[in-house]
Amino acid sequence: MKKSKRFEVLADRPVNKDGFVEEWPEEGLIAMNSPLDPKPSVKVENGVIVEMDGKARDQFDMIDTFIADHAIIVDNAEKVCGTDSLKIARMLCDINVTRDQVLEYTLSMTPAKAVDVLNNMTVLEMMMGVTKMRARKQPSNQAHVTNVKDSAVQIAADAAEGALRGFDELETTVGVGRFAPTNAIGILIGSQVGRPGVLTQCALEEATELQLGMRGFTAYAETISVYGTEQVFTDGDDTPYSKAFLASCYASRGLKMRFTSGSGSEVLMGFADGKSMLYLESRCLFVTKGAGSQGTQNGSVSCVGVPGAVPGGVREILAENLLAMMLGLECASSNDQTFTHSDLRKVARSLMQMVPGTDFICSGYSSTPNYDNMFAGSNWDAEDYDDWNVIQRDLKIDAGLRPVKEDEVVAARNKAARAMQGLFKELGLPEITDAEVEAATYAHGSKEIIDRNSVEDIKAIEQMMNRGVTAIDFIKGLNNAGFPDIAESIFNMTKQKVAGDYLHTSAIIKDWHVISAVNQPNDYLGPMTGYQVEGKTWDDIKNIERAIAATDI
Amino acid sequence: MNNEELVSKIAQEVLKKMESPASGSPKVSNSGGNTGMDSSNYPLGEKSADKIYSSTGKKLSDMTMQQVLDGDLKAEDIRIAPETLNMQADVADSVKNYPFAKNLRRASELIAVPDDRLLEIYNALRPGRSSQQELLDIADELRNKYHAEDSAKLVEEAAEVYVKRNKLRTD
Repeated sequence: MKKSKRFEVLADRPVNKDGFVEEWPEEGLIAMNSPLDPKPSVKVENGVIVEMDGKARDQFDMIDTFIADHAIIVDNAEKVCGTDSLKIARMLCDINVTRDQVLEYTLSMTPAKAVDVLNNMTVLEMMMGVTKMRARKQPSNQAHVTNVKDSAVQIAADAAEGALRGFDELETTVGVGRFAPTNAIGILIGSQVGRPGVLTQCALEEATELQLGMRGFTAYAETISVYGTEQVFTDGDDTPYSKAFLASCYASRGLKMRFTSGSGSEVLMGFADGKSMLYLESRCLFVTKGAGSQGTQNGSVSCVGVPGAVPGGVREILAENLLAMMLGLECASSNDQTFTHSDLRKVARSLMQMVPGTDFICSGYSSTPNYDNMFAGSNWDAEDYDDWNVIQRDLKIDAGLRPVKEDEVVAARNKAARAMQGLFKELGLPEITDAEVEAATYAHGSKEIIDRNSVEDIKAIEQMMNRGVTAIDFIKGLNNAGFPDIAESIFNMTKQKVAGDYLHTSAIIKDWHVISAVNQPNDYLGPMTGYQVEGKTWDDIKNIERAIAATDI
Repeated sequence: MNNEELVSKIAQEVLKKMESPASGSPKVSNSGGNTGMDSSNYPLGEKSADKIYSSTGKKLSDMTMQQVLDGDLKAEDIRIAPETLNMQADVADSVKNYPFAKNLRRASELIAVPDDRLLEIYNALRPGRSSQQELLDIADELRNKYHAEDSAKLVEEAAEVYVKRNKLRTD
């Protein structure tokens, strides 16, 4: 066949490097509306759910049992299940119905009922739903701060810049597990240099992560994974009961915590039980609610390639986020791992959360070049900072970031690097040289970072951990090293863990004031209500440095 | 190739194309707090700092960094107290966040359990780790040694469900 030049050009486009699959409901390769999903049903006897979504109680698996016993307000359950799903879908996007009025219904739904409601909605209607149902009035954003060298000084510099740019949460992880303590210290110190009160975490295996939190290295955790089928949950080495206990462990040490789940994980692990991605994610979210987690990181997250490949997959991701909000959960709405070679698809996918705003639009945004992102390549990287800022300016939305000046960023990065230099010395860790401080101050990525002696570092880290070092030692060390202001911030963060206010739904800390769904609940009810981009917020967003003033011409 | 393998292969193919560098009840609607706190007292750290004490009895509003530097505030002095978590649970109930409130009440009980033991209990609740009797023993320990009634109930529930769903250790 003679080749079309047009088709040759199209074949070379980034989108045609992406993978796509047709629907296959029997194996769970279907985003929503699967003919095999259970029909909603519920029966309550003596205050106990004895039938749910087509199954009698004696047929319940461990997920069903946990959900029936912990996640649903039973008083209203039969009434809500008998309400037309289309009516509830309309309430979700009706500006005359309040968030609380919707919650009266949605907190008494079954997993299949929630799916049945969402199946009726377009992405535009779901975005209206998110605008109203997001738990915290003010949207926010989270960043990933990692690098391939596990350089703590670079993490500190990138964290300082990230905090300055507006992220309210920063998350790191490790390439090599034994660097976890210094990576956690790096992100903690850097964040407090950039903007005091920013919350930090270090994603690790469940038990290790909790240990770091107990010692004050981190402020919160979000990698507590739950799954939608019993087999996959078991393969993930947990049960709803072990995860509920873990949730209480975190709170008992004054640490904020959210669960994580996302569509596609069950397909990837080979046991989707022939259910749609949204139905399985619905079960995850009900487990999350029942376990008493204040929130979730969801929206396919690291399995985004799977919904991204099936029809309606990006719609399903938005539906997952909205479902979390329908349960009153804080939603850190993914937009982290990428799923496409196409910049156009990347943006279209993210607008679903950027435009209505979520508790954390990205979970997170990569604050480094792609090659340094240890969570896998991100949908948004450090190279895209200005694009993000301009999109906010174009649409007059607050997607969590603010334009910054180069000299302020350089100063913050330098101070973070110097604080790490001082603290390393105080903690008996191998020296951070002036040259390393200089490199981290001006670096874009780890290619510009000076290599260290990993063997020596790891040995010293082990010794430090064996000495039982805690946040108290960071406070003393930073003060001795000449950084009393950063020491004070770490001290204030420690006090937050004594008060426990930031454990609540959607909590962030701005100028040492805790803002959450308790004291700043979303009150959107149509035009000119809810969160408004105005005054100083709009001034900060619109004033990008490269804009020309008429007076300059 | 069976379906599971095929699906897994398709999924892997899709992901490979990405070339990424690395691939990560409220039956009781209000279980009855009596701390007198609700959402109007929140944030407690700002509005009620004089009512909040650490687990060793240090008052939040009296804490200063100088005390840390002088060695008068140690790591164990800056841990959340059971009473505080119960206050936060009442705040959560006042905004109808019942399962979260229950979590905070379990957490208030678990403050007394040492870090290492807490991690051991978590691990014992993972699938295939414990016999039914071992789980019931943990529930007894939580109830009798730590007065952790709600947490003990959760472990007993798990023991019951694990029997039915084959999640106990098979020796």
